[in-house]
Amino acid sequence: CRHLESLPTNVLLDPTQQQQLLVAGSAVAVGGLLTCYYWVYQGTKTKRIPIGDGWWGAGEKPQSEDEKVFPFQVQTSDEEIQDLYDRIDRTRYTEPLEDTGFQYGFNSTYLKKVVSHWRHQFNWKKQIAILNKYPQFKTNIEGLDVHFIHVRPPHREGQRVLPLMLVHGWPGSVYEFYRILPLLTNSLDSLAFEVICPSIPGYGFSEAPHKQGFDTLAAARVFHKLMERLGFSDYYLQGGDWGSIITTNMAQMKPECVKGLHLNMLTNKLRGFGVLFSILIGRYLPWLVGFTREDVRRLFGSVGFMERNFYEIIRETGYLHIQGTKPDSAGCGVNDSPVGLAAYILEKFSTWTDFNNRDLEDGGLERKFTLDDLLTNIMIYWTTGSIVSSMRFYKENLKTNIDNRLDNHTGVYVPTGLAAFPNEVRHVPQSWARDRFRNIYSYSYMPRGGHFAAFEEPQLLADDLLQFVKKVEKL
Amino acid sequence: MMIICVCRVGIHCYNVHNRNSLCRTNMLLTWRIRNHVSSIRGISICKVRECLTERGQNLHWFESSRQELHFPRTTGLYFDTKLADGRIDTASCGTATKGSTMFTEILLALVVGGVVYFLVQRSKRHQLKSEDGWWGEGTPMAGEEDLSIRPYTVQTDDEELEDLYRRIDQTRPFPSLEDSQFNYGFNSHYLQKVVTYWRRDFDWRRQVEKLNKFPHYKTNIEGIDVHYVHVRPKNLPEGVTAVPLLMVHGWPGSFYEFYRMIPLLTQPSNPDDIVFEVVCPSIPGYGFSEAPHKKGFDSVCAARVFHKLMKRLGFQQFYAHGGDWGWIVTTNMAQLEPKIIKGLHLNFAPPSKPGLPVVLSIMLGRSFPKLFGFNEHDIQRIYPVVQNLVVESVKESGYMHIQATKPDTVGRALNDSPVGLAAYILEKFSTWTDHDFRNLDDGGLTRKFSLDDLLTNVMIYWTSGCIISSMRFYKENFSKGLDQPHSKMPVHVPTGFACFPNELMHTPKLWVQQKYRELKTFTPMARGGHFAAMEEPELMAQDIQNFTKMILRSQLDTMRGACKFDQSPHYFCLKQ
Repeated sequence: CRHLESLPTNVLLDPTQQQQLLVAGSAVAVGGLLTCYYWVYQGTKTKRIPIGDGWWGAGEKPQSEDEKVFPFQVQTSDEEIQDLYDRIDRTRYTEPLEDTGFQYGFNSTYLKKVVSHWRHQFNWKKQIAILNKYPQFKTNIEGLDVHFIHVRPPHREGQRVLPLMLVHGWPGSVYEFYRILPLLTNSLDSLAFEVICPSIPGYGFSEAPHKQGFDTLAAARVFHKLMERLGFSDYYLQGGDWGSIITTNMAQMKPECVKGLHLNMLTNKLRGFGVLFSILIGRYLPWLVGFTREDVRRLFGSVGFMERNFYEIIRETGYLHIQGTKPDSAGCGVNDSPVGLAAYILEKFSTWTDFNNRDLEDGGLERKFTLDDLLTNIMIYWTTGSIVSSMRFYKENLKTNIDNRLDNHTGVYVPTGLAAFPNEVRHVPQSWARDRFRNIYSYSYMPRGGHFAAFEEPQLLADDLLQFVKKVEKL
Repeated sequence: MMIICVCRVGIHCYNVHNRNSLCRTNMLLTWRIRNHVSSIRGISICKVRECLTERGQNLHWFESSRQELHFPRTTGLYFDTKLADGRIDTASCGTATKGSTMFTEILLALVVGGVVYFLVQRSKRHQLKSEDGWWGEGTPMAGEEDLSIRPYTVQTDDEELEDLYRRIDQTRPFPSLEDSQFNYGFNSHYLQKVVTYWRRDFDWRRQVEKLNKFPHYKTNIEGIDVHYVHVRPKNLPEGVTAVPLLMVHGWPGSFYEFYRMIPLLTQPSNPDDIVFEVVCPSIPGYGFSEAPHKKGFDSVCAARVFHKLMKRLGFQQFYAHGGDWGWIVTTNMAQLEPKIIKGLHLNFAPPSKPGLPVVLSIMLGRSFPKLFGFNEHDIQRIYPVVQNLVVESVKESGYMHIQATKPDTVGRALNDSPVGLAAYILEKFSTWTDHDFRNLDDGGLTRKFSLDDLLTNVMIYWTSGCIISSMRFYKENFSKGLDQPHSKMPVHVPTGFACFPNELMHTPKLWVQQKYRELKTFTPMARGGHFAAMEEPELMAQDIQNFTKMILRSQLDTMRGACKFDQSPHYFCLKQ
């Protein structure tokens, strides 16, 4: 790949050479298409994945399940706040290396500023009032108390209301959706949504599984059960990060219940002849492999494919590797130190919003977010003590070979809308996404925004979601 | 003028203890003395004596000849190529023939010698280079470098302990998953037990006293205070100098890893054993060594700093031992100044740059183990390859991945939470001692270590607040890519390798040989894992003894300096 990059893009060839190249190119392309077809064919043998069942509560599964849905409110106490302040005050800072910005992780000098805001300006009680602005509930599913927000739009004449579930990821929480919620539930458009935002078990106010093996498939099943319990039989789904995988699994599990699936994060395997071929050729003959100009720009950028999609990913996946193998070791200290927790989580909000933020002394955090919002998310992890269980979700999902998982060999046939934000950790062009998503209704190149799209660009995401749903509903 | 190549051949054979050439050499010797050949040097006198004894003559005979010829005492025997009168005694130089045949032989010898010389030089030409650095705050201060060596004592106070206890008491425990043992990391139920011991029974003051049992020092090198333990042997016999040995620790260890081994080396119980003078530095950023303030401090920098330290302490030559990071640091030291490191002893050396022989051995080793020198244990540890070399490595290298990319993020909380720090560090002492310990409820921690020792190591990290800087060492070493000059370069220093059965990355002899071209000893050890010096100090000390003896013996054979020789070949010590 490096060799290819070093080639000039406009090589002048004489006609014979051109002809040879064309013949060779066609041969390769035909071979590629055949391989693609084979892969596609291989991948579509099953059209849905089994639902299965599980029990994640402590001890044995009881005879009958309690299906009650009970309201929930976030609460705090002076004791909790005092303990937090005590811990913050006793933080043992380490000086950052000179001139390193965010390259070595969260910069300690800037961390002091964040912590000073936390300690002196941030008002947790006020933030709790904001959290409790939307009605929250809990209900026990498969032995776990699952927390969710349920917002019904105000009644408007002539407005259609559609149920929608939003699923967050790591290191986010339901709070990621607090700015997009009013845009979806309180719109004056002909369409509004009745929104359900669950916390993934082990995240935030949802109970953590007590047994091994709770992965995205289990989460998908639990969320289907939740929707069923709430009386919904067909609904829309939206997700990013883990949310995108969980909602995809939901669509594979019960396609009849999912009217549409909207994702703002995509993954695909950088494998198979078709993909490799498009990586090699895409930069020079994008039309041949179905890339747009924008795809080329995002995939290859100025640094080249390997740098952008391989080395950068290696540099950014240390958290994934340790959480996927030793979550309890990695999380133990983080669960004790609020400042350590903030550094661990907020580094992601800096780097995943824009990789260039790593070169800034303040990680560019406040360019797109307010410290109050960021710290509210941290406080959800802190007060619930859920960082370890949130990390375990990586281990549960990465424990077995990803390639052997059924959901990776199963296509997604529900109507799908994809929002590709430019600063997302990895860009997946529509031609790659089609391998898995067989019914893409819309694929949008978003003008700005990164990994935490709902949190960072709620209006853009809401607009894209709305246009997608309208396409599906043929409005 | 005539070149006597038989003499060279004689010498050469003589070194491999060929009885025939021994006789010939001795005859030559007689002949040379008779013919007043004045320049003889190189071979140790003890060997001369050995061969004379074999021929029923004694050293006295040689001594008188030597004195008669005014040979200096410090010279041994080595035949120079020049002869004064050009005559050749055919009786003593049996293979020296006349005329053209000899000319061809000379030519051949020159060509072969030239090729060998070229090959050797080519591989040696790549000596590792490094430039002085400055790791202190700001810019280096003008004026003289501070070369002073200051004694250092580990200290503690009530405030430190109270703070520790308060933090321990305020730990927010969370339950482990059911039946997960150590598979998800440090088991939180067992962690409670460790913490209870730490809080109630562990006596840091007593451990501090224990730490101060050996003398500590600090000295400023390249802008940072480097801490080290320096143990000189007591009651050394008159005229005998101890053999200097540098021992370098790794992560998440410290100089304390060597505390059980130091007395075995400095005060060996066996009178035949070598007495060592031991220096154990803390890698900058670890323990009581100051952390670099600038980015870029990698293993080569640490190697350079330790060379400077040893020079400052007045050692001209010394031996080095290392495992984990200590492996790379001491290897880099051998690459930087091969003449200064007399012997390199390692207990960890995964192939940093797997070449063709390594790849071939992995592919074919199962079918042709003998071809690659694999034994049963090698086969057992390597195959199945995907499971043992790939999956296991991936499972166990999460810490490395995050520390090599975001050390400041992952270390932040550990520097605030003593219990979090203990879980992070002690998980390694469990799993790296034996992979099967992951399936035990208590991680098998106390099977090989005492909680006192383990917690003392954790306390060194805690009280010095060095976890973040110790993690940064990963980033500095990996961020420049895996293609560093030192990883490609072979090592030409005599090397000994102790192969512990439960080492994290099993390395068969063939693999070690790829990098360490002068592998003198390769010992399959009876038991032990990654933290071998701490886990099996006796075994490790014994292997260092054996290795050093072997080097001394072979150096004695070819040494140019004088040596004192006694009856038993085991009884030698260096004379300054």
